[in-house]
Amino acid sequence: MSALLAATQDPKVHLTSQTRVIAALIAVAFMVLILELIRRDRLQERYSVVWFVAGLGMLAGAAFPGLLGTVADLMGVRDTNVALFSIILLLLLGLALNFSVIMSRQAAQITRLAQERALEKAREQAASAEEALEADDEGFEG
Amino acid sequence: MRTLVFIPAWNEAASVAAVIAGVRERLPEADVLVVDDGSTDATAARAREAGATVASLPFNQGLGAALQTGYLYALRERYDFCAHLDADGQHPPGDVAGLLEEVYADRADLVIGSRYRDRGAAESDDYRPTLSRRIGTSVFRFFLTLATRQRFTDTTSGMRAANRRVMALFSQHYSPDFAEIESLQLAVRQGLRVEEVPVRMLERTGGASFLTPLRSAFFIFKGMIVLLVGQFRPRRREPVEPVPLGKARAGQ
Repeated sequence: MSALLAATQDPKVHLTSQTRVIAALIAVAFMVLILELIRRDRLQERYSVVWFVAGLGMLAGAAFPGLLGTVADLMGVRDTNVALFSIILLLLLGLALNFSVIMSRQAAQITRLAQERALEKAREQAASAEEALEADDEGFEG
Repeated sequence: MRTLVFIPAWNEAASVAAVIAGVRERLPEADVLVVDDGSTDATAARAREAGATVASLPFNQGLGAALQTGYLYALRERYDFCAHLDADGQHPPGDVAGLLEEVYADRADLVIGSRYRDRGAAESDDYRPTLSRRIGTSVFRFFLTLATRQRFTDTTSGMRAANRRVMALFSQHYSPDFAEIESLQLAVRQGLRVEEVPVRMLERTGGASFLTPLRSAFFIFKGMIVLLVGQFRPRRREPVEPVPLGKARAGQ
Protein backbone atom coordinates (compact mmCIF):
# COMPACT_ATOMS: atom_id res chain seq x y z
CA MET A 1 0.00 0.00 0.00
CA SER A 2 2.77 2.40 0.94
CA ALA A 3 4.61 1.48 -2.25
CA LEU A 4 1.52 2.30 -4.28
CA LEU A 5 1.14 5.67 -2.53
CA ALA A 6 4.80 6.45 -3.15
CA ALA A 7 4.39 5.58 -6.82
CA THR A 8 1.39 7.88 -7.32
CA GLN A 9 2.93 10.77 -5.45
CA ASP A 10 6.32 10.60 -7.11
CA PRO A 11 6.37 12.37 -10.49
CA LYS A 12 9.37 10.34 -11.63
CA VAL A 13 8.86 6.97 -13.30
CA HIS A 14 10.27 3.96 -11.54
CA LEU A 15 10.35 0.93 -13.74
CA THR A 16 12.14 -2.14 -12.51
CA SER A 17 14.50 -3.68 -15.03
CA GLN A 18 12.20 -6.73 -15.06
CA THR A 19 9.21 -4.63 -16.24
CA ARG A 20 11.39 -2.93 -18.83
CA VAL A 21 12.61 -6.23 -20.25
CA ILE A 22 9.04 -7.58 -20.44
CA ALA A 23 7.78 -4.37 -22.10
CA ALA A 24 10.63 -4.49 -24.63
CA LEU A 25 9.92 -8.16 -25.38
CA ILE A 26 6.23 -7.42 -25.94
CA ALA A 27 7.11 -4.52 -28.25
CA VAL A 28 9.51 -6.68 -30.26
CA ALA A 29 7.00 -9.55 -30.42
CA PHE A 30 4.36 -7.08 -31.62
CA MET A 31 6.57 -5.85 -34.44
CA VAL A 32 7.50 -9.40 -35.42
CA LEU A 33 3.76 -10.18 -35.56
CA ILE A 34 3.22 -7.19 -37.89
CA LEU A 35 6.06 -8.36 -40.13
CA GLU A 36 4.66 -11.89 -40.17
CA LEU A 37 1.18 -10.62 -41.10
CA ILE A 38 2.63 -8.66 -44.01
CA ARG A 39 4.68 -11.66 -45.11
CA ARG A 40 1.54 -13.83 -45.21
CA ASP A 41 -0.44 -11.16 -47.11
CA ARG A 42 -2.83 -10.77 -44.21
CA LEU A 43 -1.93 -7.10 -43.77
CA GLN A 44 -1.13 -4.57 -46.48
CA GLU A 45 2.02 -2.49 -46.09
CA ARG A 46 0.13 0.78 -46.28
CA TYR A 47 -1.89 -0.13 -43.19
CA SER A 48 1.13 -1.47 -41.30
CA VAL A 49 3.10 1.77 -40.98
CA VAL A 50 0.98 3.08 -38.12
CA TRP A 51 1.36 -0.20 -36.22
CA PHE A 52 5.13 -0.16 -36.65
CA VAL A 53 5.23 3.34 -35.22
CA ALA A 54 3.17 2.09 -32.28
CA GLY A 55 5.59 -0.81 -31.76
CA LEU A 56 8.58 1.53 -31.90
CA GLY A 57 6.89 3.80 -29.37
CA MET A 58 6.45 0.86 -27.02
CA LEU A 59 10.09 -0.08 -27.45
CA ALA A 60 11.23 3.48 -26.82
CA GLY A 61 9.14 3.63 -23.67
CA ALA A 62 10.77 0.46 -22.40
CA ALA A 63 14.30 1.47 -23.34
CA PHE A 64 14.16 5.03 -22.01
CA PRO A 65 11.78 5.23 -19.03
CA GLY A 66 12.71 8.91 -18.57
CA LEU A 67 11.00 9.66 -21.89
CA LEU A 68 7.54 9.13 -20.46
CA GLY A 69 8.25 11.50 -17.56
CA THR A 70 9.44 14.15 -20.00
CA VAL A 71 6.28 13.78 -22.09
CA ALA A 72 4.13 14.01 -18.96
CA ASP A 73 5.96 17.19 -17.94
CA LEU A 74 5.40 18.65 -21.40
CA MET A 75 1.67 17.88 -21.11
CA GLY A 76 1.60 19.46 -17.67
CA VAL A 77 0.40 16.19 -16.15
CA ARG A 78 1.93 15.27 -12.82
CA ASP A 79 0.95 11.62 -12.91
CA THR A 80 2.85 9.82 -15.66
CA ASN A 81 0.30 7.00 -15.67
CA VAL A 82 -2.44 9.46 -16.58
CA ALA A 83 -0.24 10.88 -19.31
CA LEU A 84 0.47 7.41 -20.65
CA PHE A 85 -3.18 6.35 -20.69
CA SER A 86 -4.31 9.66 -22.21
CA ILE A 87 -1.82 9.37 -25.04
CA ILE A 88 -2.73 5.76 -25.75
CA LEU A 89 -6.46 6.52 -25.58
CA LEU A 90 -6.17 9.42 -28.01
CA LEU A 91 -4.03 7.36 -30.37
CA LEU A 92 -6.55 4.51 -30.37
CA LEU A 93 -9.42 6.97 -30.90
CA GLY A 94 -7.59 8.43 -33.89
CA LEU A 95 -6.89 4.96 -35.26
CA ALA A 96 -10.55 3.89 -34.89
CA LEU A 97 -11.67 7.04 -36.72
CA ASN A 98 -9.08 6.39 -39.42
CA PHE A 99 -10.52 2.91 -39.92
CA SER A 100 -14.07 4.27 -40.14
CA VAL A 101 -12.91 6.63 -42.88
CA ILE A 102 -11.21 3.78 -44.75
CA MET A 103 -14.31 1.62 -44.25
CA SER A 104 -16.60 4.32 -45.65
CA ARG A 105 -14.40 4.71 -48.69
CA GLN A 106 -14.37 0.99 -49.29
CA ALA A 107 -18.15 0.73 -48.79
CA ALA A 108 -18.60 3.39 -51.49
CA GLN A 109 -16.19 1.52 -53.75
CA ILE A 110 -18.01 -1.78 -53.23
CA THR A 111 -21.35 -0.12 -54.00
CA ARG A 112 -20.00 1.38 -57.20
CA LEU A 113 -18.49 -1.96 -58.19
CA ALA A 114 -21.84 -3.71 -57.62
CA GLN A 115 -23.60 -1.01 -59.65
CA GLU A 116 -21.14 -1.30 -62.53
CA ARG A 117 -21.66 -5.04 -62.67
CA ALA A 118 -25.45 -4.67 -62.54
CA LEU A 119 -25.36 -2.07 -65.34
CA GLU A 120 -23.15 -4.30 -67.46
CA LYS A 121 -25.60 -7.18 -67.14
CA ALA A 122 -28.60 -4.93 -67.86
CA ARG A 123 -26.86 -3.53 -70.93
CA GLU A 124 -26.20 -7.06 -72.18
CA GLN A 125 -29.84 -7.98 -71.68
CA ALA A 126 -31.06 -4.83 -73.45
CA ALA A 127 -28.63 -5.42 -76.34
CA SER A 128 -29.68 -9.04 -76.82
CA ALA A 129 -33.36 -8.03 -76.71
CA GLU A 130 -32.66 -5.46 -79.44
CA GLU A 131 -30.86 -8.07 -81.52
CA ALA A 132 -33.78 -10.45 -81.20
CA LEU A 133 -36.10 -7.67 -82.32
CA GLU A 134 -33.93 -6.91 -85.34
CA ALA A 135 -33.76 -10.59 -86.23
CA ASP A 136 -37.55 -10.71 -86.12
CA ASP A 137 -37.79 -7.72 -88.46
CA GLU A 138 -35.42 -9.33 -90.93
CA GLY A 139 -37.51 -12.49 -90.77
CA PHE A 140 -40.59 -10.55 -91.75
CA GLU A 141 -38.86 -8.89 -94.71
CA GLY A 142 -37.42 -12.17 -96.02
CA MET B 1 -36.43 11.86 -77.00
CA ARG B 2 -36.00 8.78 -74.81
CA THR B 3 -37.42 8.13 -71.38
CA LEU B 4 -36.43 5.52 -68.84
CA VAL B 5 -38.73 4.46 -66.03
CA PHE B 6 -36.86 2.51 -63.39
CA ILE B 7 -38.19 0.57 -60.43
CA PRO B 8 -36.00 -0.23 -57.44
CA ALA B 9 -37.09 -3.61 -56.08
CA TRP B 10 -35.99 -5.66 -53.13
CA ASN B 11 -37.85 -8.93 -52.73
CA GLU B 12 -40.99 -7.66 -54.49
CA ALA B 13 -41.70 -10.71 -56.64
CA ALA B 14 -45.39 -10.52 -55.73
CA SER B 15 -45.99 -7.04 -57.07
CA VAL B 16 -43.21 -6.09 -59.48
CA ALA B 17 -44.78 -7.61 -62.60
CA ALA B 18 -48.03 -5.68 -62.12
CA VAL B 19 -46.10 -2.42 -61.68
CA ILE B 20 -44.12 -3.05 -64.88
CA ALA B 21 -47.30 -3.90 -66.77
CA GLY B 22 -48.90 -0.70 -65.49
CA VAL B 23 -45.96 1.42 -66.61
CA ARG B 24 -45.80 -0.22 -70.03
CA GLU B 25 -49.51 0.34 -70.50
CA ARG B 26 -49.53 3.98 -69.44
CA LEU B 27 -46.12 4.93 -70.88
CA PRO B 28 -45.67 2.72 -73.93
CA GLU B 29 -42.80 4.81 -75.31
CA ALA B 30 -40.65 4.51 -72.18
CA ASP B 31 -38.06 1.81 -71.50
CA VAL B 32 -38.48 0.02 -68.18
CA LEU B 33 -35.54 -0.96 -65.97
CA VAL B 34 -35.90 -2.85 -62.72
CA VAL B 35 -33.01 -2.38 -60.29
CA ASP B 36 -33.03 -5.60 -58.33
CA ASP B 37 -31.33 -4.74 -55.05
CA GLY B 38 -29.96 -8.17 -54.19
CA SER B 39 -33.36 -9.84 -53.97
CA THR B 40 -33.39 -13.41 -52.70
CA ASP B 41 -36.78 -14.18 -54.25
CA ALA B 42 -37.85 -14.32 -57.89
CA THR B 43 -38.03 -10.52 -58.36
CA ALA B 44 -35.51 -10.46 -61.22
CA ALA B 45 -37.16 -13.37 -63.05
CA ARG B 46 -40.68 -11.88 -62.68
CA ALA B 47 -39.37 -8.53 -63.96
CA ARG B 48 -37.74 -10.12 -67.03
CA GLU B 49 -40.91 -12.08 -67.78
CA ALA B 50 -42.86 -8.81 -67.61
CA GLY B 51 -40.58 -7.37 -70.28
CA ALA B 52 -38.31 -5.12 -68.21
CA THR B 53 -34.56 -4.87 -68.43
CA VAL B 54 -33.09 -5.96 -65.11
CA ALA B 55 -29.99 -4.59 -63.37
CA SER B 56 -29.26 -6.98 -60.53
CA LEU B 57 -27.02 -5.76 -57.72
CA PRO B 58 -25.06 -8.78 -56.46
CA PHE B 59 -26.03 -8.05 -52.85
CA ASN B 60 -28.47 -5.77 -51.06
CA GLN B 61 -27.07 -2.24 -51.04
CA GLY B 62 -30.00 -0.19 -49.77
CA LEU B 63 -32.57 1.95 -51.54
CA GLY B 64 -30.18 4.84 -52.15
CA ALA B 65 -27.66 2.69 -53.99
CA ALA B 66 -30.48 1.06 -56.01
CA LEU B 67 -31.86 4.43 -57.06
CA GLN B 68 -28.38 5.64 -57.91
CA THR B 69 -27.96 2.57 -60.13
CA GLY B 70 -31.07 3.65 -62.03
CA TYR B 71 -29.82 7.23 -62.45
CA LEU B 72 -26.43 5.92 -63.53
CA TYR B 73 -28.04 3.65 -66.15
CA ALA B 74 -30.17 6.52 -67.46
CA LEU B 75 -27.12 8.77 -67.70
CA ARG B 76 -24.84 6.21 -69.34
CA GLU B 77 -27.46 4.88 -71.75
CA ARG B 78 -28.13 8.48 -72.77
CA TYR B 79 -31.77 8.81 -71.84
CA ASP B 80 -33.11 12.35 -71.94
CA PHE B 81 -35.46 11.87 -68.99
CA CYS B 82 -36.02 9.31 -66.30
CA ALA B 83 -38.58 8.57 -63.63
CA HIS B 84 -38.83 6.02 -60.87
CA LEU B 85 -41.54 4.54 -58.69
CA ASP B 86 -41.78 1.92 -55.96
CA ALA B 87 -42.12 -1.76 -56.80
CA ASP B 88 -44.68 -2.51 -54.07
CA GLY B 89 -47.61 -1.27 -56.15
CA GLN B 90 -48.40 1.73 -53.95
CA HIS B 91 -47.79 4.20 -56.76
CA PRO B 92 -50.36 4.27 -59.57
CA PRO B 93 -48.15 3.96 -62.71
CA GLY B 94 -50.37 6.44 -64.54
CA ASP B 95 -49.25 9.22 -62.18
CA VAL B 96 -45.69 8.93 -63.47
CA ALA B 97 -46.88 10.47 -66.73
CA GLY B 98 -47.97 13.61 -64.87
CA LEU B 99 -44.52 13.92 -63.28
CA LEU B 100 -42.78 13.43 -66.60
CA GLU B 101 -44.94 16.15 -68.20
CA GLU B 102 -43.28 18.68 -65.90
CA VAL B 103 -39.72 17.74 -66.86
CA TYR B 104 -40.64 17.39 -70.53
CA ALA B 105 -41.94 20.98 -70.44
CA ASP B 106 -38.72 22.02 -68.62
CA ARG B 107 -40.68 23.54 -65.75
CA ALA B 108 -38.49 21.66 -63.28
CA ASP B 109 -35.31 19.56 -63.17
CA LEU B 110 -36.64 17.19 -60.54
CA VAL B 111 -40.31 16.47 -59.87
CA ILE B 112 -41.53 14.74 -56.72
CA GLY B 113 -44.81 12.88 -56.54
CA SER B 114 -46.40 14.06 -53.30
CA ARG B 115 -49.00 12.04 -51.42
CA TYR B 116 -49.90 15.01 -49.25
CA ARG B 117 -50.15 17.97 -51.58
CA ASP B 118 -53.69 19.01 -52.57
CA ARG B 119 -55.31 15.95 -51.11
CA GLY B 120 -58.73 16.86 -52.46
CA ALA B 121 -57.51 17.23 -55.99
CA ALA B 122 -55.65 13.97 -55.91
CA GLU B 123 -58.45 12.10 -54.16
CA SER B 124 -56.01 10.19 -51.99
CA ASP B 125 -58.59 9.03 -49.47
CA ASP B 126 -57.61 5.44 -50.04
CA TYR B 127 -54.20 6.01 -48.44
CA ARG B 128 -54.00 6.32 -44.64
CA PRO B 129 -50.46 6.57 -43.23
CA THR B 130 -49.65 5.09 -39.82
CA LEU B 131 -49.02 7.33 -36.80
CA SER B 132 -45.24 6.88 -36.75
CA ARG B 133 -45.13 7.63 -40.45
CA ARG B 134 -47.19 10.76 -39.93
CA ILE B 135 -44.84 11.97 -37.17
CA GLY B 136 -41.78 11.25 -39.30
CA THR B 137 -43.36 13.01 -42.26
CA SER B 138 -44.06 16.20 -40.33
CA VAL B 139 -40.62 16.28 -38.69
CA PHE B 140 -38.86 15.84 -42.03
CA ARG B 141 -41.20 18.29 -43.71
CA PHE B 142 -40.37 20.93 -41.10
CA PHE B 143 -36.61 20.47 -41.18
CA LEU B 144 -36.32 20.08 -44.92
CA THR B 145 -38.34 23.24 -45.46
CA LEU B 146 -36.07 24.97 -42.95
CA ALA B 147 -32.95 23.67 -44.70
CA THR B 148 -34.00 24.42 -48.27
CA ARG B 149 -36.36 27.37 -47.73
CA GLN B 150 -38.72 25.64 -50.11
CA ARG B 151 -41.99 24.01 -49.12
CA PHE B 152 -42.01 20.24 -49.39
CA THR B 153 -44.99 18.17 -48.30
CA ASP B 154 -43.76 14.67 -49.12
CA THR B 155 -40.09 14.33 -48.27
CA THR B 156 -39.83 10.57 -48.53
CA SER B 157 -41.69 10.07 -51.78
CA GLY B 158 -40.32 7.27 -53.93
CA MET B 159 -41.91 8.57 -57.13
CA ARG B 160 -39.86 11.08 -59.08
CA ALA B 161 -39.10 12.32 -62.55
CA ALA B 162 -35.82 13.94 -63.57
CA ASN B 163 -33.78 15.32 -66.44
CA ARG B 164 -30.11 14.84 -67.23
CA ARG B 165 -28.87 17.47 -64.80
CA VAL B 166 -30.36 15.44 -61.98
CA MET B 167 -29.02 12.18 -63.42
CA ALA B 168 -25.52 13.66 -63.48
CA LEU B 169 -25.80 14.89 -59.90
CA PHE B 170 -27.44 11.81 -58.38
CA SER B 171 -25.22 9.32 -60.16
CA GLN B 172 -22.25 10.94 -58.42
CA HIS B 173 -23.68 11.98 -55.05
CA TYR B 174 -26.39 9.89 -53.52
CA SER B 175 -26.38 8.72 -49.95
CA PRO B 176 -26.59 4.93 -49.90
CA ASP B 177 -28.84 4.75 -46.86
CA PHE B 178 -30.63 8.06 -46.67
CA ALA B 179 -31.77 8.55 -50.18
CA GLU B 180 -34.88 10.68 -50.32
CA ILE B 181 -34.34 13.57 -47.94
CA GLU B 182 -30.68 14.16 -48.52
CA SER B 183 -31.14 14.06 -52.27
CA LEU B 184 -33.83 16.77 -52.12
CA GLN B 185 -31.59 18.95 -49.99
CA LEU B 186 -28.69 18.31 -52.33
CA ALA B 187 -30.69 19.13 -55.45
CA VAL B 188 -31.98 22.41 -54.04
CA ARG B 189 -28.54 23.40 -52.79
CA GLN B 190 -27.08 22.69 -56.21
CA GLY B 191 -29.49 25.19 -57.71
CA LEU B 192 -31.80 22.68 -59.40
CA ARG B 193 -35.49 23.40 -59.78
CA VAL B 194 -37.42 20.94 -57.65
CA GLU B 195 -41.19 20.77 -57.83
CA GLU B 196 -43.94 18.69 -56.25
CA VAL B 197 -46.90 17.24 -58.07
CA PRO B 198 -49.81 15.58 -56.24
CA VAL B 199 -50.11 11.83 -56.71
CA ARG B 200 -52.38 9.18 -55.30
CA MET B 201 -51.18 6.42 -53.03
CA LEU B 202 -52.65 2.94 -53.03
CA GLU B 203 -52.54 0.24 -50.38
CA ARG B 204 -49.71 -2.24 -50.72
CA THR B 205 -50.40 -5.11 -53.06
CA GLY B 206 -47.69 -7.33 -51.61
CA GLY B 207 -44.95 -7.44 -48.96
CA ALA B 208 -44.91 -5.49 -45.69
CA SER B 209 -43.68 -2.03 -44.73
CA PHE B 210 -40.34 -2.07 -42.96
CA LEU B 211 -41.29 0.65 -40.47
CA THR B 212 -41.75 -0.20 -36.79
CA PRO B 213 -42.02 2.60 -34.17
CA LEU B 214 -38.45 2.05 -32.96
CA ARG B 215 -37.11 1.98 -36.47
CA SER B 216 -39.09 5.10 -37.27
CA ALA B 217 -37.54 6.92 -34.33
CA PHE B 218 -34.05 5.88 -35.39
CA PHE B 219 -34.90 6.81 -38.98
CA ILE B 220 -35.98 10.29 -37.90
CA PHE B 221 -32.90 10.76 -35.71
CA LYS B 222 -30.59 9.68 -38.51
CA GLY B 223 -32.42 11.87 -40.99
CA MET B 224 -31.92 14.95 -38.85
CA ILE B 225 -28.18 14.31 -38.57
CA VAL B 226 -28.01 13.81 -42.33
CA LEU B 227 -29.85 17.11 -42.90
CA LEU B 228 -27.57 18.93 -40.46
CA VAL B 229 -24.42 17.59 -42.13
CA GLY B 230 -25.91 18.38 -45.53
CA GLN B 231 -26.16 22.04 -44.57
CA PHE B 232 -22.38 22.18 -44.40
CA ARG B 233 -21.82 20.76 -47.85
CA PRO B 234 -20.62 23.27 -50.43
CA ARG B 235 -23.46 25.13 -52.11
CA ARG B 236 -23.41 25.98 -55.77
CA ARG B 237 -24.80 29.40 -56.57
CA GLU B 238 -25.23 29.20 -60.32
CA PRO B 239 -27.58 26.57 -61.76
CA VAL B 240 -26.01 23.37 -63.01
CA GLU B 241 -25.27 23.41 -66.72
CA PRO B 242 -27.37 21.06 -68.82
CA VAL B 243 -25.47 17.85 -69.45
CA PRO B 244 -24.98 17.12 -73.15
CA LEU B 245 -25.87 13.62 -74.20
CA GLY B 246 -22.45 12.74 -75.59
CA LYS B 247 -20.48 13.73 -72.52
CA ALA B 248 -21.61 11.06 -70.12
CA ARG B 249 -19.68 8.13 -71.48
CA ALA B 250 -16.45 10.04 -72.08
CA GLY B 251 -16.53 11.42 -68.54
CA GLN B 252 -16.85 8.04 -66.88
